[in-house]
Parts: sequence; C-alpha cells; structure tokens
Amino acid sequence: MDFNWTEDQQAFRQKLHDFLASTLPDDWEEFSKHGPASPALTEFARGFCRQLAENGMLFPHWPKEIGGEGLGPWEQQILAEVMWEWGEPRGGQYMNVNWIGPTLVKYGTEAQKAKYLPQIASGEMLWCQGFSEPDSGSDLASLRTRAVLDGDVYRVNGQKIWTSYAGLADTCFLLTRTSDDRKKGITILLVPMDTPGIVVRQIPSLIGEGDIHEVFFDDVVVPASQRFGEEGQAWEIIGFSLKNERLGIPRYHLARTALDRAVALLQEAGEFSRDAVRIEAGKCAALCEAARTANYAIVQRRVDGLDVGGESSSARYNTVMAERAVAEFIVEFVPEALTEGQPYLKMHHQRGIVAGIAAGAAEIQLNIIASDVLQLPREPR
Amino acid sequence: MLLSLTDDQNQILDFVDTLTKPYAGVPLHDTSLALTSDALDAELVEGGFLDVAAIPELGAVTAALLVEKLARLPFAVESAATALVRPLLDPELPRPLCLIEEGQLRKPVRFLKAGATVVVVGKSGVRSFTVTDDLVRDAGDEVLYAYPMAFLTAIPADVRTHDVSADEVLRAWRVGLAAESAGLLAAALQSVTTYLSERKQFGRPLATFQALRHRLAEAQVMTNGAYWLAMRAAGTGDAGDAALAALHAQEAAKRVAYDYHQFLGAMGMTLEHPLHLWTYRLKALSGELGGRGEQALAAADTLWGAAA
Repeated sequence: MDFNWTEDQQAFRQKLHDFLASTLPDDWEEFSKHGPASPALTEFARGFCRQLAENGMLFPHWPKEIGGEGLGPWEQQILAEVMWEWGEPRGGQYMNVNWIGPTLVKYGTEAQKAKYLPQIASGEMLWCQGFSEPDSGSDLASLRTRAVLDGDVYRVNGQKIWTSYAGLADTCFLLTRTSDDRKKGITILLVPMDTPGIVVRQIPSLIGEGDIHEVFFDDVVVPASQRFGEEGQAWEIIGFSLKNERLGIPRYHLARTALDRAVALLQEAGEFSRDAVRIEAGKCAALCEAARTANYAIVQRRVDGLDVGGESSSARYNTVMAERAVAEFIVEFVPEALTEGQPYLKMHHQRGIVAGIAAGAAEIQLNIIASDVLQLPREPR
Repeated sequence: MLLSLTDDQNQILDFVDTLTKPYAGVPLHDTSLALTSDALDAELVEGGFLDVAAIPELGAVTAALLVEKLARLPFAVESAATALVRPLLDPELPRPLCLIEEGQLRKPVRFLKAGATVVVVGKSGVRSFTVTDDLVRDAGDEVLYAYPMAFLTAIPADVRTHDVSADEVLRAWRVGLAAESAGLLAAALQSVTTYLSERKQFGRPLATFQALRHRLAEAQVMTNGAYWLAMRAAGTGDAGDAALAALHAQEAAKRVAYDYHQFLGAMGMTLEHPLHLWTYRLKALSGELGGRGEQALAAADTLWGAAA
C-alpha cells in the first residue's frame, strides 16, 4: 500500500488546475449558479469540453485508439475531483466520460462506436439516461416503456421520468421492454432526442435549473441499428454502467471542498474558534475522508482489472453520509450560504439530496452491501 | 497511490494467519470477560511480527495491517503500542507498552502490570519507565472492559525522557488506536452476521429481515471506512490523517456496539457468546485520548489551523 500520489499524478492534477485557472472566465463561479444541467451551462460546456478535448484533458483515461491519452483509473479519478472542485464546468458531459464512453467501448457495435465516440470525444455531445419510469424507480426491472420490432425499426411507446439533461440532450440511452421476461426482456435503444413523437417536460426541482424531466414516447420510430447490445441484454449492460456511474461523481471531494470553503468563511467571520463548531467540522472531514479512501479502494480494483463489486455500494453509501453531514454543517453554521453569494456551497447543498437517490437509492446500496459484501442470506421475495 | 497489498504484506499476513489459527476460537467454557494468552504473545514476539514497522520494505502500514488482524482475535494482544509507538522511542523497551496521557492517572490502563513500560505523553514531553509492583493497583473483578486493566498509582521520579515530540507520539498512538479498532469492528461485525445468518425466528434467518440488514450494512460502511482511514494514517504519517482515523474509529464503535448486542437478543447479554470481547474492547478504546470530541478538535487543528 502507498497512499501518496506519484509525481506524475501530482503533476497531472496541477496541470488540470492550471488549465482551469487560465481557461474558465473570471465570473465562472457566479455563472455556475445556473447549475450543471441548465441551458446556459450546457451551452458553455460544449465550448469548454471542446477545449478540454483539444488539450487531451477530456478523456485522458481512454485508450489512445479512441481518442484518449491512455492514462489509468487514478487519472480518471483525479480528473473528476478537479472538475468538481471547480464546480463541474463540463456540465452533463461528465456522464460521457464516466460511463457512456466506457459502456460504448465495451458493448457497442463497430458502427455505433464509429458514430458516437468521435462525437463524444469532440466534447460537444450530451446524453440523457432514460431509465426510471413513474412506476419503476428502485424497482427498475418493472419498467414498461415498450419497444416493438416492426420490420427494421422499433416502435417505442411509454414514459420516462426523473431524466437528467433530457431537455438539452442529443441522444437518449433508453431502456425499453421488448418481452415480458422481467430482467431479460429489457433492451437498450440509442434514440436521437429530436425523433418525432418525443415530448420533454421539465420538472421544477430543488436541485437546480433543468435537472429533471419527464419524457414521453408516442409511437417513436427507432431504426433497429440503434439497438445497443442484444435484445434482453440491457440488465447486464446497465449493471456495468451503474457500477461506473456510482463512483462517477467524486461527491466526497465535492463535500470536502464545500467543507473547506465553509470553514474559511467561518474563520473570516471569527467563528471558527468555538469548539462546538470545530468538532462538527472534524466529524464532517472524517466522513469525507473515509468516503474518499473507500472510493479509492474501488479505483484500485479497477486498476487491478477486478470487478468493482458490491464494495462500490459501500463507498457510495459512505459518500452519501459525508455529503449529508457537510450539507447539515452548512445550514447549521453558515446559513447565509443558502441565500446568495456562495454558489458553490449552495450547489453542494442542492446536490446533497441527489446523493441518496440517483444511481440507485441509498437503501438499494444497503441491500447490495447486505447480500454481496456481508453475504447475508437473501430476503424472501 | 496503491491500495492493494504488496507481496511482502500478503506474505506477512499469511504467516500471522497460520500462527494465530490455534487462537482463532474462544476456548470452550471460557466465560471470562477478558481473554489473553501469554503463549500467543510469546509467539508474536519470537516471530518478530511486532517489529515490522522498522523494516523499510514493510513499514508502518504493515504494522497497522498486523494490529488490525490481531485485533480480530478473541484474545487481547498488546500490539498497537508496540508495533506503532515503540519504534519512535526505543525498539528495546520492555513490553507490554502502556500509553497514558499526562495528568490522567484516574483512568484504568490497558495491559498494565509489573514489568511493563509506561509511556507518559503530554506537555512535559514523552517519558517512560518500567513499572514496579508498588505502582500498580489492581482494578478488581468489576472491570467492564475486555482488556486486562489496572490503575497506575503514581509516576516515579526516575523516568527516562525521550527525544521525540509528544505530537508525534500522539499521532502514532492514534494510528494504533484506529488500526486496532478497525480489527475489533470487523471481528464484531463478522461474529454478528454469522449468528444472525443461522439463528431463525418466524421461520427464517434473522439476517433476512431488512430492519437488521440495513443497519448491518451501515455498520459495514463505517467499518470499511475505519479500516481505510487507519491504513492511510499509517501510510502517510500525517497528524491530520491520524486524528481523522481515530475519530472515525471511535464514531464507528459508538454506532455499532449496542446494536450488535441487541441484534443477538438475549444471547447478546451472555458471556457465552464472544461478541463482548470485541465490543467491550471497542468501548475501552472509545475513551482513549479524550474520546471523539478531542480527536475531532485535533483533526480541526491540523486541517484548518489552531483556534485563533
């Protein structure tokens, strides 16, 4: 074990910081108030990600043959940490980096890879993830959006909900039902969002502008060539994707950065001398750093070529604990941050709700830990 | 960054597994609150396992890994102070090592007995002495901790002063506390999940009830965090990491200890089930170095500077 970054890794982190410091506009922090899913930031991110791509910083961990720099999972983690430390100027494109890209590489046809990877690599493509439905949240395998093969096209009818980025996305990574077999009847289609029959409605939310939507599919025609993987292969593929997504956002680092900023404000105000405040801050830091090391343990599994396994759910749950603790610290000791003037703390607080909900609810993570890590006998169904 | 074990570390841990196999179970009909083994202690010393921190290719992380592993045994072994603190003072100091905070003679001391080395840490620096009979007051039969414990009656006039800062010793103490707690947490969790997977009520194993599963899973999360923070603190040698690791370990102990006994039902009240060996040790460690609040303050001092 060695808990120190190598010189190359430190230099890589510094290079990213330097790039962001010199590239982001002076009013970036104020601008970032729009939120990662807002139209303004999505538009900004298209330009910014193009610059990242030109400088080899969009997908440094991808293999060279698909446009990356061939760096490893540690660099992927460093990249994610630095981006979130700066308020995630990539907007929704972080998803491309974290799981859509890797999933395309692993499961896509040659034609699909040739079509999408260059678009993703150019830094201009935004995806959305058509998973949850009104009656299928945590019980995702009960989804009912139907795709029926009709010659060489699928006809899609149904509804998705809670879909992030749907209002601005180019393409939807859509889960559909092609047979009644609960898990083996689910099939992925890659659907252009400008296809006739798709209607998107934004849902007003606590977590930021443009973040969640309902998406309606009314007899939407999708060429069969847009099927991703085999019919019925979706459950296997999204298992792979979600394991990547669960760790995708380094929320522990976001939380720790927010904590440091909150402490700096308290120091400025002369309030950080009280033991009651210092103790709570220390406890928050312990949760953040426990989550960080738990996440790093999963990154190591990736480096070693191992399946990330149920331990990723443990890291995720730990991260949820850290995010919530820091959000509570902020409202308790820096209440003014939830009004105006502290966009980063506000953003952290808004996203504190998401941690326990997205990419599998916190309770689902606990189920996975109980079954896969603790190896407890299964609950009767 | 490398979070997997090196070949050397794997090998050492395998050796320890083999060596401790005879001590992995609780002796039949033994219902003592504390459980120790001179034979196990002697074997660990003989094998040089408690001195691995001084070997460059092994270092403090390997020492912490060993402490964590030994803490999983039902037998209490004084390993943390020896493996992680003694190398900073003098590798020849007689064992067991008993760490005490200056001015805290009211607290019972783990492993204290005649012949032990007491290390006093505080504003007067770091001092040590070999304990004589007259300095030990037996804590009696009513000690509710699963370590052998006694009171130190006084600090003798003739002590040895060590040329190391109190902060550095406190740092290593916290690493030891965290690593030992991580092992105790893991063993307690294992013991409970095994019992609940076998014990049936309402026609099914108790471990199939979500009310228990979710709390056990949360305990796993805390235990996992305690392990990694302890190893990181050992690896970086950073005072802030050490304070965070000790804090998280004490937090975890507080969260799980009562739950575990409760999950076992009435069996959790007995001395026939070994759970108390780990949980009551965790309770002893919960009060070390001033408890959670003091670790949190120490972490805050290191991370953000001392209070103005």
